[in-house]
Amino acid sequence: MSVIDRTTRATPARPRKPRNPLRTAVWVGILAVFALSLYGIEIRWDRLLDLPQNLVRYAGLMFAPPDVSALGKAVSATIESVQMAWFGTVLGIVVSFPLSFLAAANIGPLWLRWPLRIVFAVIRAVPEVVIAILILSVTGLTAFTGALAIAIGSVGTLGKWGYEAIEGAEKGPIEAARAAGGSTAQIVRWGLWTDVAPEVFAFWLYRFEINVRASAILGLIGAGGIGSMLVDNVQYRQWGAVGMLLIVVVVITVLIDQVSGQVRRRIIDGSWGWQRKV
Amino acid sequence: MSASVSTRPVKPRSAWKTVVTLAVIGLITVWAGVGVGADLGDIIDNWGNATGKLIQLMQPDYWFFPETVDAILETLQMAVIATAIGAAISFPLSFAASRVTNPNRPLLTVVRGIMNVVRAVPDLLYAAVLVAVVGTGALSGILALIVFNVGIIVKLVSEALDSVDRGPQEAALAAGGTWIAADRSAVAPQIFPAFVSQSLYTLELNVRASAVIGLVGAGGLGMLIDNVRTFYKYHQLSLIILEILVIVLALELISSWARRKLVG
Repeated sequence: MSVIDRTTRATPARPRKPRNPLRTAVWVGILAVFALSLYGIEIRWDRLLDLPQNLVRYAGLMFAPPDVSALGKAVSATIESVQMAWFGTVLGIVVSFPLSFLAAANIGPLWLRWPLRIVFAVIRAVPEVVIAILILSVTGLTAFTGALAIAIGSVGTLGKWGYEAIEGAEKGPIEAARAAGGSTAQIVRWGLWTDVAPEVFAFWLYRFEINVRASAILGLIGAGGIGSMLVDNVQYRQWGAVGMLLIVVVVITVLIDQVSGQVRRRIIDGSWGWQRKV
Repeated sequence: MSASVSTRPVKPRSAWKTVVTLAVIGLITVWAGVGVGADLGDIIDNWGNATGKLIQLMQPDYWFFPETVDAILETLQMAVIATAIGAAISFPLSFAASRVTNPNRPLLTVVRGIMNVVRAVPDLLYAAVLVAVVGTGALSGILALIVFNVGIIVKLVSEALDSVDRGPQEAALAAGGTWIAADRSAVAPQIFPAFVSQSLYTLELNVRASAVIGLVGAGGLGMLIDNVRTFYKYHQLSLIILEILVIVLALELISSWARRKLVG
């Protein structure tokens, strides 16, 4: 009825929520994939029943008390992992920095841009451990191999983040530098770099945090550091030492994240973390 | 041009700061380089080995494919199950871990502290310990991935929550809603797209991670990689790498499509 009934002041019915059949279909698809995965996988679910009890038992073996005599070894293993991560990150930065400019649409030529981007994507798809396995034959089983694997792995992400940041740079300063007659190098230095530098520094620090974790993993194939110590101790069921190692890893990683987070904030907002903005 | 044109304000220079920063970074790098035993000579000496391996890598052994199918499926299943369970656990936890949605400061501090510790341990360490606790196989891998996922999703989603528009939430609170009701009806819908994209992103991470955690016996492609690498079968290894590559790229395409459909 088109005539408005003025006698009752009933609130009009709420409009129906628009339905989106495609969205429903996607959700159904996701649920189906999940159900299929659960159905298809061979898992001894009964082991889950013992899990809480086992966790308590192993936590007791590891932490009550942790093996304090392993502290020295745990610290030096963690430091070796951090060194691996740092050296790898620096190497990765040195390689990826120029490459990310060449891969950016506003600087690099098309014929160079696309091959570079494909290389970055391929590297990102391969886990660091696999890279390490591949380069083992050149460098042998050392922490240096781990650092090289981390460097190569970092090029994949740093290259991508770099060219995305460079493409997102403000056009104004670049145009100004070009209008003032700057050479390509001057345009990059004064029109572009000033704009993207904070973002790029933040990426570098963030990648270092990621690499600290990655380096822990690399020891697993024998590249030294936390991974090697972990594998050795788990193998001989020295749970107290594993507990000590976990504590050291947590403390040092949290410490690095805090420091790096503070520096990142300083770079981005220009204020230290404890200077709260009002 | 006369020199008097230059009335530009002098840029405050802090050259010494740059120099000190660079020097510190340089020193740390040298220290780290010595620590890892960096040696360029080694690389040059062994380059011959590498070219041989690289040539093998360029020729994947495609006949190995049938033997990898089970491992691929297991990797994908582990990734899907872990992402789904991890995401389900993460959603409420993210709300507890954000200043905006959790008014209870002590609880906030506790949740954030625990999440920081959870994130500090690399996924592989969880896998190694869990393999010892529940035995080798996919279950330990899934459990390790769940813990790893919760760490990532809670961090990313709670950061998104921190910058959410608080207007609707304040309105709900002013209308007499409880915090939980306000968070659910006024904040959750805003954050849902971010939650979906982060969960899909973790799915991709999981495929890559499960190649790694398998090395300690937690199922999936990693276990296969471990077998192949012990016998230096580079042709087969290169097929596995190729497969991971294809899966990750395919997932990236599917998830960016699903993200558009779910979020847009």
